[in-house]
Amino acid sequence: MSIEVVAERLAALLTGSATSLSDPRPNSQIDFDGDLQIRPLTRANAPADVWAVDGGQALVADARCLQVIVTRSARVRFRHGACEAEEEGDLQAVLLGGTDERVAALAALGVDGINPDSAVDVNLVRDRWEWEAVSRSVDDVDAGGMVLVDGDLQPDWRIPSSYLRDVLDRARERDVVVAGVTKHSSLARGGAPLLAWLEREADTLLPPRSMWWAPVGRTRGDVGGVQVVAATLDPDARFSFRVDLPSWVDPEHALGALSALSDDAAFPGYPYPLSVVDGLAACPGWLRSDIRNQLDELLERAGVPLDVRDRAFTDRHGLMERA
Amino acid sequence: MMTGTRGRLYGKNVLDGVFRAAPDEDLFLGELLVAVDEQTGRRYLFRVVDVSYGSEHREPGWAERVAGTLLADDARGEAGAHPLHDQGRRTYRIADCRCLGYLTPPDALGQQEFRKPKSLPTQFSKVVAPEPSDFEFLRTKMGDLHVGQLRSGETVVDFGVGIPGESLATHVGIFATTGMGKSNLMKVLVGGVLQAEGRYGLVVIDPHGEYRKELPRHPWATDRLRTYAARNLPNTSRLKISLGELTVDDLRTAYDWSRPQEEALFELERHYATGLNQHSTGLAWLLPFSQLDDLPGFRDVELSSRVALNTLQVVHRRARRIVDLQCISADAGVSVGRSIVADLEVGRVVLVDASGLGSTEEVLVASWLSRTVMDRWSGAYLDDPEVHERLPVVSIVLEEAQRVLSSNSDRESNVFPRIAREGRKFKVGITAITQQPKLLDAELLSQFNTYFVLGLADERDRNILKSSAKQDLSASAGEIQTLMPGECLVVNLHAPFAVPAKVDLWDDVVRRATPPPAPRDVAPPNVRALVD
Repeated sequence: MSIEVVAERLAALLTGSATSLSDPRPNSQIDFDGDLQIRPLTRANAPADVWAVDGGQALVADARCLQVIVTRSARVRFRHGACEAEEEGDLQAVLLGGTDERVAALAALGVDGINPDSAVDVNLVRDRWEWEAVSRSVDDVDAGGMVLVDGDLQPDWRIPSSYLRDVLDRARERDVVVAGVTKHSSLARGGAPLLAWLEREADTLLPPRSMWWAPVGRTRGDVGGVQVVAATLDPDARFSFRVDLPSWVDPEHALGALSALSDDAAFPGYPYPLSVVDGLAACPGWLRSDIRNQLDELLERAGVPLDVRDRAFTDRHGLMERA
Repeated sequence: MMTGTRGRLYGKNVLDGVFRAAPDEDLFLGELLVAVDEQTGRRYLFRVVDVSYGSEHREPGWAERVAGTLLADDARGEAGAHPLHDQGRRTYRIADCRCLGYLTPPDALGQQEFRKPKSLPTQFSKVVAPEPSDFEFLRTKMGDLHVGQLRSGETVVDFGVGIPGESLATHVGIFATTGMGKSNLMKVLVGGVLQAEGRYGLVVIDPHGEYRKELPRHPWATDRLRTYAARNLPNTSRLKISLGELTVDDLRTAYDWSRPQEEALFELERHYATGLNQHSTGLAWLLPFSQLDDLPGFRDVELSSRVALNTLQVVHRRARRIVDLQCISADAGVSVGRSIVADLEVGRVVLVDASGLGSTEEVLVASWLSRTVMDRWSGAYLDDPEVHERLPVVSIVLEEAQRVLSSNSDRESNVFPRIAREGRKFKVGITAITQQPKLLDAELLSQFNTYFVLGLADERDRNILKSSAKQDLSASAGEIQTLMPGECLVVNLHAPFAVPAKVDLWDDVVRRATPPPAPRDVAPPNVRALVD
């Protein structure tokens, strides 16, 4: 297919009249029963205590059939207008590959009820520890507070429903709102980005610099239900975001509180605690190099010659000359 | 002075440092700070040469975006609508510094030594405000001519700054834009010389009479200051210069002469020296020449038409002007030259009030004075070394020095370049004051070992000083540009780096000066007879 044909198809999607809603991600399972009506949003008071959680990952060594990955889950506590606690989270190293490695990796996850035949990949490992941090945050946050998660409220599909249900149930018992904010949503309307369409709708329906929200659908009935909404959380926000909330939560009230956390001058419209934890969880290049050096030293000590290591982990793409 | 942590050093090299400070850390250009190397025990002295913003955010345009959001809030009258959360953690300040050197750890006797930078302080060393002991090494290098207090940024430190009086022989430059404190600094320097008990002499040519009113206020002026004026003024001696003491070189220094005009001067000098043989001394011939009525006839008959009439007319006009000056006398016996030299020989300050003279005549007087002093001091050096040894260091203070030290100066005839190049050997120096150092001859400027650099707005002025100073000023352009009146950098070979100073106010110097010792009682005649 030529780029001209692609452009023609893309133009049809972006400006087309199709209205069917979808989420092309595997295992999405959203029921698009929301009315998509744009509703004005009023900023409320910020929750007195907020924890934000995000997970990061890095591929340290890649022999394709064998991979060494590290993940970590960072947490931030935001109170009185400032981040008063920051946890980068311990690095979790995992060897992915053959059957023995899969079994060992699965056991290391320490999740009851997980299918013993499940494949293990970086998404599962990262989400498992990220949700472990969410679980701890639900316990640590003051009653009536809020726990923010980077992304939706759907951990990797291999994590049993019981785990998520337990977290959300404990949150509800303590009147803690768990909210997931997705920066780059895959929700679609007629095949085109749903949030972009809602933003244009809001521009036509509401005065400039209005905050708004719109119900989109529901998912995860197996854990008590999660409502999916779209929202613009600051008058000066450039973008709206997908926000996931437990079904028992009053969305307007929760979004108003979330809006109060989204007033940072650097990122108007995005919850500030999430922007902080995003930086903490990242595994930058220098960290990856550092861990790779550690791994090399340990392999050296274990008697693995450099030649063997090189042949195993050298990316042959490096041999190619590329522009 | 604060002793808390001002920042943490994190980068650069042996000569430069860069440290991170809190976003509200008030850092000033020129501020002196110390990096404490806990591992080696050294204390590295740094001068802040630039301060900039830093942020934890690496996205391009982050800071601009924040500013834009805040600005938009302001425009809507909603300042504060978008706070920058955790600003103290997300933003910071970066200070670029020049490493001036380091203090060694105290030895067994508690002595510390200051050394030029040759090694890196340990990375992430704590940066703190200096303690008084950090400057102790400077105390012996500040000399006996006090000018002010040490300055760290805008903070005045209780530590005296000055130069050794011997530095006057190796020439001093005072450079500043108008209003930055040149005159005050000069008066403070004069005050130091007045109190130096005869160790140094100073000739101050005062073109506007401003020093004449101020310098006598100093408690030591009664005995150590002599004032000569080109016109009748109270409490001054009359400045009288004999025509016979002036030379053609003085004329060539003071006036711009075309080549034919110079030829005419030599022709006239030769004519009056050999022809009549009556006025063979100096410019004594100017008197009869100025009195000529028939210039065409003189040209045709006496000079055999070897000089063009219009050329001769120019020389004649200038001769009449010089002869008519109140301070010029045809009588060789009335000159004050000897008197001035005698004052300088005993280490007095000689103030020559040239107000009332034109700029060129002022240079004429300065040229004569400088040549007279140079001749006396160089003569003693060559003919009577023991006498020369006892002579004080003397400096000739020139305002608007670019008039006589520019690259256009006639080096053959001009006494000032000669003093700049040779004077130090004879203990004769120049103190050049100018607001346009870029107009000074670069080679002559390189002969100046001491600079007082006050505020200079012109980049070309700063550049020429940077390239010729005896201490590194390459990173101090920003500081020089932002100096406030009275703030200066003292560049002197005796100090290990350009020392920032706040110059004392003249009024304070006068008020604080200790009175001179009372003269000893005159012994009774019988006792004197015994002594005799």
